[in-house]
Amino acid sequence: MQAAHKEHLYKLLVIGDLGVGKTSIIKRYVHQNFSSHYRATIGVDFALKVLHWDPETVVRLQLWDIAGQERFGNMTRVYYREAMGAFIVFDVTRPATFEAVTKWKNDLDSKLSLPNGKPVSVVLLANKCDQGKDVLTNNGLKMDQFCKEHGFVGWFETSAKENINIDEASRCLVKHILANECDLMESIEPDVVKPHLTSPKIVSCSSCAKSYRPQFWRATVLEGQRLPCYFLLGFGHGL
Amino acid sequence: MADSLPTEFDVIIIGTGLPESILAAACSRSGQRVLHLDSRSYYGGNWASFNFSGLLSWLKEYQQKSDVAEESTASWQGLIHETEEAITLRKTDETIQHTEVFCYANQDMDDKIEETDALQKNPSSLTSSTLTKPLDSACLSEETHSYVTSYEMPAKDIPKNDGEISLEVSGVEGTLAEEKYCGDETCRHTVSGGDTDENKPIEEDNTDQLKRNRITYSQIVKESRRFNIDLVSKLLYSQGLLIDLLIKSNVSRYAEFKNVTRILAFREGKVEQVPCSRADVFNSKELTMVEKRILMKFLTFCLDYEQHPDQYQAFMQCSFSEYLKTKKLTPNLQHFVLHSIAMTESSCTTIDGLKATKNFLQCLGRFGNTPFLFPLYGQGEIPQCFCRMCAVFGGIYCLRHKVQCLVVDKESGRCKAIIDHLGQRINAKYFIVEDSYLSEKTCSNIQYKQISRAVLITDQSILKTDSDQQISILIVPPADSGTCAVRVTELCSSTMTCMKDTYLVHLTCSSSKTAREDLESVVKKLFTPYTEAAINEEELTKPRLLWALYFNMRDSSGVSRSSYNGLPSNVYVCSGPDCGLGNEHAVKQAETLFREIFPSEEFCPPPPNPEDIIFDGDDKQPEVSGTNNIIMAKLDSSEGSKNLESPGKHLEN
Ligand SMILES: Cc1cc2nc3c(=O)[nH]c(=O)nc-3n(C[C@H](O)[C@H](O)[C@H](O)COP(=O)(O)OP(=O)(O)OC[C@H]3O[C@@H](n4cnc5c(N)ncnc54)[C@H](O)[C@@H]3O)c2cc1C
Ligand SMILES: Nc1nc2c(ncn2[C@@H]2O[C@H](COP(=O)(O)OP(=O)(O)OP(=O)(O)O)[C@@H](O)[C@H]2O)c(=O)[nH]1
Ligand SMILES: [Mg+2]
Repeated sequence: MQAAHKEHLYKLLVIGDLGVGKTSIIKRYVHQNFSSHYRATIGVDFALKVLHWDPETVVRLQLWDIAGQERFGNMTRVYYREAMGAFIVFDVTRPATFEAVTKWKNDLDSKLSLPNGKPVSVVLLANKCDQGKDVLTNNGLKMDQFCKEHGFVGWFETSAKENINIDEASRCLVKHILANECDLMESIEPDVVKPHLTSPKIVSCSSCAKSYRPQFWRATVLEGQRLPCYFLLGFGHGL
Repeated sequence: MADSLPTEFDVIIIGTGLPESILAAACSRSGQRVLHLDSRSYYGGNWASFNFSGLLSWLKEYQQKSDVAEESTASWQGLIHETEEAITLRKTDETIQHTEVFCYANQDMDDKIEETDALQKNPSSLTSSTLTKPLDSACLSEETHSYVTSYEMPAKDIPKNDGEISLEVSGVEGTLAEEKYCGDETCRHTVSGGDTDENKPIEEDNTDQLKRNRITYSQIVKESRRFNIDLVSKLLYSQGLLIDLLIKSNVSRYAEFKNVTRILAFREGKVEQVPCSRADVFNSKELTMVEKRILMKFLTFCLDYEQHPDQYQAFMQCSFSEYLKTKKLTPNLQHFVLHSIAMTESSCTTIDGLKATKNFLQCLGRFGNTPFLFPLYGQGEIPQCFCRMCAVFGGIYCLRHKVQCLVVDKESGRCKAIIDHLGQRINAKYFIVEDSYLSEKTCSNIQYKQISRAVLITDQSILKTDSDQQISILIVPPADSGTCAVRVTELCSSTMTCMKDTYLVHLTCSSSKTAREDLESVVKKLFTPYTEAAINEEELTKPRLLWALYFNMRDSSGVSRSSYNGLPSNVYVCSGPDCGLGNEHAVKQAETLFREIFPSEEFCPPPPNPEDIIFDGDDKQPEVSGTNNIIMAKLDSSEGSKNLESPGKHLEN
């Protein structure tokens, strides 16, 4: 990697009712595929997408899917913690999933805000637009109004199936996050310990002195590879 | 967002404390269908942490619980068949008692409160009251209930029964250390600040002579979200069972930690830093060269004391403190070793003392120069990390979900279902219940221990140094033999548990009386109440108390399974938090129960795939990029894509 590169790592949440297409959107976006076979999301924590934003900037997105716990509306803080943005997804063929959008947005805002106290950027996704039943969204003006009222930075008609607008929606969200980030000169936590299973993952980011804390994971330790007792370091003999 | 809850599970877990959450992750990870319930609106039970407003609401809940008559819930009696019987569960939690709140910070109303937290609009709901019963030191019996409410500030009109004080009351000023206790209708009022008169007007309100930061109550309320106040105060031993489990299961990916930076000791009225690493010993200004040598020699011996039985065998019968005297350690060093390194009671045996010292030394240096880690955002994160893991593997979570009873099949004697507050019957094969959910009838033979807790918000560290971002632990030895040592943990704002320019201090000991009675003397030794008035030099050197909370929490960790009445064999019990410093009890309990239920399954194995992120460490030396000594992460996309797919597949087949 060139030294000139700026690196950003953002945690993004993908939220919405059961079966609206959250996992499909992530799969389409990250792995460029789609399956019409429905199965509840199990065993997946987050997926990673790398964007070459411009010649100097690489953006890594951690897309956090919701696990079983959201079905009954009780997310752990762990899920929300340190996210920089979110997609709230509804299914254009099921009006009830749109009704739930405000509920998800309120829940998100009550649990998460940026270090500067502002709400995180959220993009609204009207998914399954390939179905041609988008009665809800064919009034674009109304949707714009809705977004303004509820604090969404934008909305997109998407299809995970036909790969419509997903890249655009993501770019919109990242653009807002990057713009926000200049405000977030929050002090960075040094000396944060992230114990890990594999490899001495001393993860961090060179250029983001002003960027986000999760990149500043420092000391980590291999399992089974206990460091020698600090107390003994340097004792060659005697004692 | 909720569709209806499935009614068939393998395991139902009631309570989201640490042992239950570890079990939930373990069961879900091994392919069981898990339903994890909590009657409360938050994760963690008595392991939870709250922001400041959340803590006030928590206090209020305990007050209301005692007032509110039983809620009407769907009746379950009709749902029990003839071949079945019901074991009812407890309706209200009774594990928290003797809550007392004191506010010392200025509650001046001139500074406008901009409430940022939606949780609580009225910042003044500072009042608390609890289910209380006489706690005499001999017997902590569970039976009698009386009500104690404590008010922290003078108010013109105290509402009759609900004990709420509105901050709209004007002219509330000069809240020096005041304490009011209301038992029944009569209020007793004492002033703890010695001869201070509560109505004395504030002298020189705008003096700048004290350059110290003035934190007002409204600032604390405004910055409510910066606080993450733990109900239990624990640390992780860096070689302890919990850190090992977090790493092994990869649940550690959800958590971040800071090293405890200092071990402190309290001797002859002074707080000092205990040297515990070799470098510390060398650099210590308190120790003479001779002391340094003696201490190093002794500590080095402790590291492999088993190899030198000749050194301690003759002292097996005496206490560790007696033994230390024989090792030529000066009183200074004896104190350090006994209270700050071994962290044992004076009465502990030589062998246990050596074991504890060795454990401490072994934990040194894994992540830093003390043996302890503290989770960013508080201990309350840890149960949630395990819950997230459980959910990722398909576990279903419902908070605010009460369970009315367990349904037992008469013939087999096994529990087969629960009935929830909606009257819904949910079936499972195994049931894991946290102690506090079990009814008085089930627990009638049990004498619970208690933990005394204090939570303080202060304006300075108990030992000032160049850095104001220290995380310290201090053991204050018992003043007299009947009582217990008090563990003090001081957290700075970079632990994400308190607002800037404040410290969050936790005190813990096992109870002999109420929390305030057990802990107040230590609080007074270390801190001075915040006051606007001029104070003398000596007082100025101590950190000032802005806010304080005392409460007792039930400790069910010592209860054996056989002491519960009439629980079916497939109902397993987890205990609430114990008094110890580490989390070893909870981890051991979870692992033991898991092995009992699923003897052939692995306990929390690592997830099927490594993390999405891998590192390009092969072709290049770890790059020292810029000023940070850091390696860049790089995504291997094929790894990444495998990762999204395989765990699901793994579970599907
Ligand atoms: C506090 C302490 C620490 C010790 N650490 C070691 C050690 O790391 N390795 C070892 O082989 N033996 C160590 N020893 C053992 C000591 O060096 C042996 O007793 C030595 O064999 C006897 O040498 P001496 O009589 O010259 O001791 P002394 O003259 O008393 O010197 C002690 C030794 O420690 C060194 N020392 C002093 N300060 C520091 C420091 N801040 N960092 C590193 N070294 C320092 C000195 O240079 C000297 O070599 C230590 C002893 C003590 C009391
Ligand atoms: N036609 C069409 N179908 C879609 C689209 N996106 C998702 N689907 C289908 O909708 C169903 C649900 O998609 P998922 O991605 O599993 O939805 P989810 O939100 O992750 O569901 P849960 O994880 O169970 O909450 C699947 O059968 C998908 O094939 C889309 O854009 N168009
Ligand atoms: Mg999904």
